Amino acid sequence: MKVTLAMKPAAKGFIPIEAESIVPKNFLSGTDLLVWRGNRELRLDEVFSVSVEGEADRAEGVEVVLSGETFRLKRVGEYMDGGKITVLGDIGMHCGNFMTAGTIEIHGNADGWLGREMAGGAIVCRGDVADYCASGYRGGRKGMKGGTVEVFGRAGDFLAENLADGTVIVHGDAGDMPGAEMRGGTLIVHGDCSRPAANMKGGSCYVYGTAREMIPTFKKIGPVQHDGRTLIQFAGDLANRGKGNLFVKNYEYLD
Amino acid sequence: MTELLVKNACVIDPLRGINGDVMDIAIRDGKIVEEVSDAAEVVDARGMLTMPGGIDSHTHICGTKVNFGRYMSPEDMRAGRTPRRGPMHATSGYSVPTTYGNSYRYSVMGYTTLLEGAMAPLEARHTHEEFTYTPLQDTMANTLFDGNWAIMEAIRDGDIKRVAAIIAWTLSAVKGFGVKLTNPGGTEAWQWGKNVSCIRDPVPYFEVTPAEIIRSVVEANELLHLPHSVHLHCNNLGTPGNYTCTLGSMGLIPDLNPKRQTLYATHVQYHAYGGSGWKDFCSKSEPIANFVSMRPQIVIDMGQVMFGRTTTMTADGPMEFNLYRLHHDKWSNHDVELETGSGIIPVVYRRKNLVNSIMWSIGLELALLTKSPWQCLLTTDNPNGAPFVKYPEIIALLMSKRYRDAEFATVHPDTGSRVPLPAIERELDWNEIAVMTRAGAARALGIQDLGKGHLAPGADADIAIYPLKIDEVDPSAEYQKVIDGFSQTEYTIKRGRVVARRGECLVHGSNATFWVRPKVPENYDMSKDPDFIEKFERYYTVRMSNYPVQEEYLSRNRCIETEADL
Ligand SMILES: [Zn+2]
Repeated sequence: MKVTLAMKPAAKGFIPIEAESIVPKNFLSGTDLLVWRGNRELRLDEVFSVSVEGEADRAEGVEVVLSGETFRLKRVGEYMDGGKITVLGDIGMHCGNFMTAGTIEIHGNADGWLGREMAGGAIVCRGDVADYCASGYRGGRKGMKGGTVEVFGRAGDFLAENLADGTVIVHGDAGDMPGAEMRGGTLIVHGDCSRPAANMKGGSCYVYGTAREMIPTFKKIGPVQHDGRTLIQFAGDLANRGKGNLFVKNYEYLD
Repeated sequence: MTELLVKNACVIDPLRGINGDVMDIAIRDGKIVEEVSDAAEVVDARGMLTMPGGIDSHTHICGTKVNFGRYMSPEDMRAGRTPRRGPMHATSGYSVPTTYGNSYRYSVMGYTTLLEGAMAPLEARHTHEEFTYTPLQDTMANTLFDGNWAIMEAIRDGDIKRVAAIIAWTLSAVKGFGVKLTNPGGTEAWQWGKNVSCIRDPVPYFEVTPAEIIRSVVEANELLHLPHSVHLHCNNLGTPGNYTCTLGSMGLIPDLNPKRQTLYATHVQYHAYGGSGWKDFCSKSEPIANFVSMRPQIVIDMGQVMFGRTTTMTADGPMEFNLYRLHHDKWSNHDVELETGSGIIPVVYRRKNLVNSIMWSIGLELALLTKSPWQCLLTTDNPNGAPFVKYPEIIALLMSKRYRDAEFATVHPDTGSRVPLPAIERELDWNEIAVMTRAGAARALGIQDLGKGHLAPGADADIAIYPLKIDEVDPSAEYQKVIDGFSQTEYTIKRGRVVARRGECLVHGSNATFWVRPKVPENYDMSKDPDFIEKFERYYTVRMSNYPVQEEYLSRNRCIETEADL
């Protein structure tokens, strides 16, 4: 079953739309769903032109395609447990929160908190992601617990903060503090970033470019071969009695 | 004139010796009266358990510390979310909820009066502002004097009357109610990176000992004729073997007041530990409870720990640093100039942890082994031992040996060899629970004459009606009914109005704050004392004229004037 949701021009505007109901499973019982804009609850067809092709009896058989100006559409795919969501443009904050299975593919950019606390499944973003991609909740101890997030553009600050398990790959640069407080899992940044893996307890963080403002409380182990690259391995964060591994191609300390 | 008649109430009112009599309660303009006219609105209690409104004699609900707990644990706000409903504001938070969250949840449990356990004088405005937004309870604040420079200097000079005068000025200035000593001297020592180990250790620079601070402040408190006694958080909280320090501190206290205790020792669970380290950590509830039972001048509260997630917060900065080194999670530390300090960390108490299991036992043992319920009040030191919403479970544990045994079977298997709990048969009755949760608290705080904690004509019409028929429920066996009954009142009446009914709060309410203004002779007026003024202006970051809290900060102002013997 393919559900196409084309954002109606009238629904444009500054106020974000909270659309946690847009999850493949929910379309098994029709398109009679509700979303919120500010303090107003709206029917799905007030916001989108809705069309459905084919049938499905399980979430895995459902693909939801979002098109139009979807950059202010929040919480799409929250608690998603199967199926596929394809976003042809940009997507708003908190897309794929808590998802456990299925796939979300975003052709444009994603706003903050993409895949926050996800536990399984896969998110692919072809554009850039804003801050707190694949991270935890504010103040929480455990962030992403499983699954994969792959970003082909750049990532903002606090990428994979509190990462507990799963894999996060960014092909471009990342901002400040990627992998902060991480305790497990794997984070790979193909480009540059600053202050990676601060306060890490466990897991592995790879920076294939240059790590600027390296945290001084990591112990240098020496060069290692990884995936055809020569990287320098560090252990830490000693400030947190950490047992994590940080691998960087190049690094600079703050003067 | 508004009148209300509560009919067919099965009343337990320990301060008047009423234990389960079915009667009517007449209310006019917020006070209990002998009788009302036929025009009075009627609430039919249908024989349900009716008691004076609950009084929490030690809780942390308002002020800088509590708010910093909220600030550093945004994840706590994911729990306990309720939307706006009728007159109720939206709430959120579990161990450190929003002020409305605290107020509604206490009200639904029948609580109408709360004592904030620790207010730093310099930061009093924040406490009073949050009191205003705790609308369904009357409030009062313990004021911290544990590391007060002027007081320690007066003690060093042996001038008790000056100690009293400084307390008098400060309480009036910050609209405080009682005198709180938190780890006396220890928090000041912490400002030098140190602590005091027990009551005989001198405080750096000031060269006074915690024992001298406790003795002098207790005497000064009685010279001022304050309603409440000194409220002490002993030195050495949370340390194995600290029970000797606790006994030593209690042993300092003479019996100076015929109406109430001379010392209120708070959250004694944390101060009743044996052993020389965590390996042989054990309960010393028995010597503590026996000591208290022999000394009418002492009242304690439990500081019960319940399993689960919570936030610890106290003015005891060095203790929180030690906790931080155990847990290695988040930590906040705060210094309050010439007065005190504080620390906060989140914790999880776990059944499978031996130390936590022993702590859980000790609190219950203190309540069961202290002979008189008037001397051991029910608290969790909210939220330190557990959020106050756990009170109904604690009541049920105290009333049912069977429930205790069932819970005991789920804690760490080695607990049995470290604590006396399994051998304790005592089950508290309804009347004893009423003492521990309202009547005893009112007497200990010295507010029974202000119309709190009882239902005699003239008293504030603060009443809790619980959906429990005490002659039909066997608390020993039907403990789940006890938990359910105390979790949600049928009616909570505050100042003569029904404010909560079956879990819903019905009015916006308006808080009253009790505070104390001791009258001192001219020569003991610190606002005119050149030495006090000079040091204040030199060391504080605020001007002395900007320090007092204006009365506009109090929404309903209940000033208690006392005559000092100076
Ligand atoms: Zn306390």
